[in-house]
Amino acid sequence: MIDAAARLRRPLWLRIYLGITLLLFLTAATFALVFSPRDVTQGDLIRIMYAHVSVAWISFVAVGLTAVFGALYLWRGKRRDDVLAVASGEMGLFFASLTIIGGMTYSKPTLNTFWTWDAKLTLTAIMVALMVGYFIVRGLIDDPVRRGRVSAVVAIVAAASLPFNYLAAEWFRTLHPAKSVALDGSGVTMDPTMLAVLLFNTAVAGLIYLGFMIDRVRLGRVEAALEEERSLAATHQASAGKEVVRV
Amino acid sequence: MNDLHAVLWIARKDLLQESRSKAVTVATVFFSAVTLGVLAFAFGENPLLMREGAMGALWVALAFAGVISAAQSWQADLEDGALEALLAWPVPRAAVYLGKLLANWGLMTVLGFVLLPIAGGLYGAAIGGGGEAAPALVVSALLGVIAAGTLGFALIAVFYAGLTANLRARESLLPVLMFPVVVPILLAAVRASNALVGSGDLDLAWAWLRLLVGFDLVYAVVCLVLFRFVVEA
Repeated sequence: MIDAAARLRRPLWLRIYLGITLLLFLTAATFALVFSPRDVTQGDLIRIMYAHVSVAWISFVAVGLTAVFGALYLWRGKRRDDVLAVASGEMGLFFASLTIIGGMTYSKPTLNTFWTWDAKLTLTAIMVALMVGYFIVRGLIDDPVRRGRVSAVVAIVAAASLPFNYLAAEWFRTLHPAKSVALDGSGVTMDPTMLAVLLFNTAVAGLIYLGFMIDRVRLGRVEAALEEERSLAATHQASAGKEVVRV
Repeated sequence: MNDLHAVLWIARKDLLQESRSKAVTVATVFFSAVTLGVLAFAFGENPLLMREGAMGALWVALAFAGVISAAQSWQADLEDGALEALLAWPVPRAAVYLGKLLANWGLMTVLGFVLLPIAGGLYGAAIGGGGEAAPALVVSALLGVIAAGTLGFALIAVFYAGLTANLRARESLLPVLMFPVVVPILLAAVRASNALVGSGDLDLAWAWLRLLVGFDLVYAVVCLVLFRFVVEA
């Protein structure tokens, strides 16, 4: 019998890490809200960009890592890789959803619309759909080995389709200009202060991702241990039942 | 028997089964015809809108039909342990996938060829007319686009249908999983067909068709490599 409660308690170093991350997050937000200069055209609205772009970058990293951990699981078959893949997948879904919500908030006042079929928006929406599919599949399979393999396959195909989704959506726009405004900042040279603030915000978003990952992996390992213990107990009971019948 | 023979035998088995039961043919032909009709109502009475939406409607109908066809090809094998017997066959798992893919692609391509004139007629789009290019050239290019587009659909649909074959809620799960992945194929296929039907613009269609074939190749490699992890007896 594993002591789940004891294993779920956060160790001191993790608490310190999460505390420092929170402080850094507040610092990053202060930089974005106070110290960043106003944008020439967007004014104060540029401050949303720091949260939006940093979260978007991390969401792609998270989804990519889900596929990487999935591939590792297919290769080595270690439960640990599956636990890492799920943790990263949850973060990917969370950050991608935040990207869409943040993007809509940003887009309404600057472009006067909540949604355009721009390549990046389309791609993020598709990514959310792919990750939702990943978790639906996971929820439907009880056998942990089969669940790990099948969801790894789903994650790899999803990640492999992302560049094509981007390419197609980009071509769709450039070959046949739709009534959309490109919000990719291409050709816009950034103020050095702005770039520094953006990079700092991205680093902090990365630290938040890492902190959540560590905590989720700890939880996932306890989950896996409990699941294993239960299936062992079930087999034990089943074989005990057979003995009785045979006698 | 080598692996290529195995692929052809599995395709033959699926097509033979289909020629006897006609389950997929009946379901997909009527379902896609109904889809074309419903979308025609949705477009309203504007003839210009109808003409421009013709190829989009065709590909939506084909995409939905592709889901039915792929799901059915695994569904039939779930009965009486046929799937276990098939997977116990000493050939690579990829051969099973390729065989089913071949049968599905064949059915979908024929369906696409049948639906093309129907969509053109229903929506008032002149297939092969309108532009400067020779009509025969435009029509054969359209058939090529249909073949490449349905191959892309079939690649993903058969792969995910195998993955969901023995899961609960597979009917609703298959479209949820496959549609986000086939978006690039749908986009490229619709763009290529529209370029041909609208203005007979062969250059633009050729650019999209190349992209489409590129998607097909990459998805084919990914699906072939990963398929052995998808099905388990």
